Amino acid sequence: MKLERIFPWLRRPDQVLVRNREYFSNFDRRQPLAAYDFVVCDTELTGLHKRRDEIISIGAVRISSLQIELSRTFHSLVRPVNIDANQATLVHRITPEQLKQAPLMAEVLPGFIEFCGQGVLVGHFVGLDLHFLNQAAKGLLGGSLASPSVDTMQMVRGYREFAGRQRSGFVDQAGSLVLDDLTREFRLPRFKPHDALEDALQTAYLFIFLAKKLQGLGVRTLQELERLVRSTTEDPFL
Amino acid sequence: MAREQGAITPAPEVVVEFLSRIMPFRELDDELLHEVARRIRVDFFPKGTWLLTMGESEVRYLYLIQQGGVKSFLTDEEGKTTLKDYRGDGEYVGALGIIRGTVANMNVETVEDTFCFLLPRDYFLELINSQPGFAQYYLKSFSEKIVSTAYTELRKHRVARRSDEDLFLFSLTVGDIIGRRLRSLPVTASVQEAATVMMRYSVGSLLLHGGNPEEIVGIVTDKDLRNKVVAAGGSYALPVGTIMTAPVVTLNARAVCFDALITMMSSGIHHLGVEENGRIVGVITSHDIMLLQGSSPYSLFKEIGRQQYFPPLYALAQKIPAVIRNLINEGAKAGNIVRMIALLNDQMLARVLQLVERELGPPPLPYCWLLFGSEGRREQAFKTDQDNGLLYADPQGAEQREQAAEYFGRLAARVVDHLVNCGYPPCADRIMAANPRWCQPLAVWQGYFAGWIQSGDRQELVKALVLFDFRSGHGHAALAEELRDSVVRLTRNHQAYLAPLVADCLAAKTPPAVFRDMVVEEDGRQGTLLDIKHQGLAPFVNFARILALRHGIRETNTLARFSVLAKEGYLEEELLVKAQEACEIQMHLRLIHQLHQMEEGILPDSSLSPGELSEVEKKMLRDGFALVGRLKGLLQQLLAG
Repeated sequence: MKLERIFPWLRRPDQVLVRNREYFSNFDRRQPLAAYDFVVCDTELTGLHKRRDEIISIGAVRISSLQIELSRTFHSLVRPVNIDANQATLVHRITPEQLKQAPLMAEVLPGFIEFCGQGVLVGHFVGLDLHFLNQAAKGLLGGSLASPSVDTMQMVRGYREFAGRQRSGFVDQAGSLVLDDLTREFRLPRFKPHDALEDALQTAYLFIFLAKKLQGLGVRTLQELERLVRSTTEDPFL
Repeated sequence: MAREQGAITPAPEVVVEFLSRIMPFRELDDELLHEVARRIRVDFFPKGTWLLTMGESEVRYLYLIQQGGVKSFLTDEEGKTTLKDYRGDGEYVGALGIIRGTVANMNVETVEDTFCFLLPRDYFLELINSQPGFAQYYLKSFSEKIVSTAYTELRKHRVARRSDEDLFLFSLTVGDIIGRRLRSLPVTASVQEAATVMMRYSVGSLLLHGGNPEEIVGIVTDKDLRNKVVAAGGSYALPVGTIMTAPVVTLNARAVCFDALITMMSSGIHHLGVEENGRIVGVITSHDIMLLQGSSPYSLFKEIGRQQYFPPLYALAQKIPAVIRNLINEGAKAGNIVRMIALLNDQMLARVLQLVERELGPPPLPYCWLLFGSEGRREQAFKTDQDNGLLYADPQGAEQREQAAEYFGRLAARVVDHLVNCGYPPCADRIMAANPRWCQPLAVWQGYFAGWIQSGDRQELVKALVLFDFRSGHGHAALAEELRDSVVRLTRNHQAYLAPLVADCLAAKTPPAVFRDMVVEEDGRQGTLLDIKHQGLAPFVNFARILALRHGIRETNTLARFSVLAKEGYLEEELLVKAQEACEIQMHLRLIHQLHQMEEGILPDSSLSPGELSEVEKKMLRDGFALVGRLKGLLQQLLAG
């Protein structure tokens, strides 16, 4: 037990993680986008410090056939280990009281990974969500997620570049990448920024919008989408 | 907080909120609304996406437009497209195909980037079946669309002739087509001034006011100037008020052009004032409508009136179905369509009578051509049998009596023959003006009705029942009014004669139940055909007639009788709406059925096979028939009271 704590890789990963890895061991990226399930997720954090801060809520919604399935959503608050909830109250309108009653990450995470199933993870700046999820998974379940992921923020860059080049040969990457601004720019139906689930939904709208627009521009498979997303400049933030 | 635990998946508020704003979902209780919201999928369709392809796409979802816009349109064999509709935020696509269980009946394409909430077909059907308000909502908006779908099908079988499909008669309001600025003059202005103003602005009519230009008192048209001043040798200095028509016949600006057309055709007035918030804001003319219309009801109406010989008149009669088909195509309600049929048939009758009068010389006495039965109620579908009679003013002295009988006998015989040639078959029961019994002076007619009402001879009364629905078809309507007066008076004094009628009505079988492909009567007998005239509509017609007679209502049209009964407090509003709906859907189904038959060269009848109805239409029929019980209840009260 002690050794595992010091050398976590000695620990046998939890069943949910084993399944998660099985799902993606022979993952075929050449299928058309509509053939994949996507899970659009959003996490809320106590702060942005990579080691010190923790997830306090997770919201996710599933997409299949490039349609958002409102019947399949996930939403849970998470009780942080270091409860300094004053900040949380300010940023997320979650009260310390609510957090105190919420389940711990150890209880929430397996259910979330279960929910993700064989879906490709999608998020706005998904790297950040994945960092905190994997950090928790390593500590609690003995490994990180094998799920592939697609970042809508990078998709926006790809779309702007692609569409711009096709339309005028001129690429304007000056636009904001903030979710709220993008919602306005692409004139998507708007949700009040409310909780992690509504944010995940807003991101899901952005995702199906971009996916279908990119389809129209010739991006057909997951592989093509990933290539497009990777070819654009990486964000220096991560 | 269940919501926060992830135990119950919450229905996203945005969908619940969306649904609670749109009909018919907002009628659902909260729990069901959340349940519906959970069934929904969100999809995005970039501008230019084809959602549905006419005649091909299976409709798998009800598409509720969250944000964006779509257009629906038809494409014919030559690839010509006809735009049918635009739908935007909060509206739906696909309900008709799902309910009828057919493939898409129109092409649907997004005209903007569009987000849709998709409700799976099976769940939508479940709602239709379990939520009464639901079925009603969609059916109401379909009672019109059902028909146009039937026509899409017809078109596909290439039986229908091509015709213009503009929607304007029902989509444009009279406010939309006011073309000219309103010109008005005081009534004291001279005829010459009026003519000058008309010339300067090149308008054919002027509104007249009594000093305050806001308060219009009358209208003068170029025809008035021509007929009442120039031709009559009147003075140009005459105040224009002396030749005006007052008051101005007006129509609300929001009325559709079809209403204007009906008003013009039935009143013979070609200039209608358009009224908004109690003020006349413009004038529309028959010309305005004609311009829009090309070759539709009004031009046929006018053409009939212009004919000088019978053969071309017979030919024009054959055109009536085509014109009616256009109306159905444009989405007219059955109630309106049968009114239009009545107007065209009346016009045909009027022209026949005028031409026959020209052959025989002027009539010795004023007369009135009476119409009975469905014609009297303005409810005939296509080509119903003739049910008519002739009523003339009471002759003075034996000589005039003989002369009148001889003249009107010859007139009636010729008219009935010409009507047969026009395609109106003779009445099997010989209730026709050509039968001397039904070609009589007022006093005799009054005697007939007095006999039926007072004698208590139940059999005779029942046989004569269709005659109680008489109205004037052509001629001196005042004679028919006088006859109506005496019927109302007689009824008031002899309520008892209604009792056997009420009893008959109560004893009549309730309409049969309509199942998948058979018809089951009250006594369990099964059939394969539903006689929509005798089994379906008759109870409503009889009910309305009895109550109208009971309460001295002069109206003969069933829908109108219902309205008057409700207005006078004899019928609850809710029952009124339902009864009228039940009648309209039945009339609709009958019209479509008969048109189908005529397209195939079969003599039209009223026998529907349940197989030709969709599940929803059957449900509507069942709902309608269920009302008959309630109507009977009302009658029972009447009998007791």
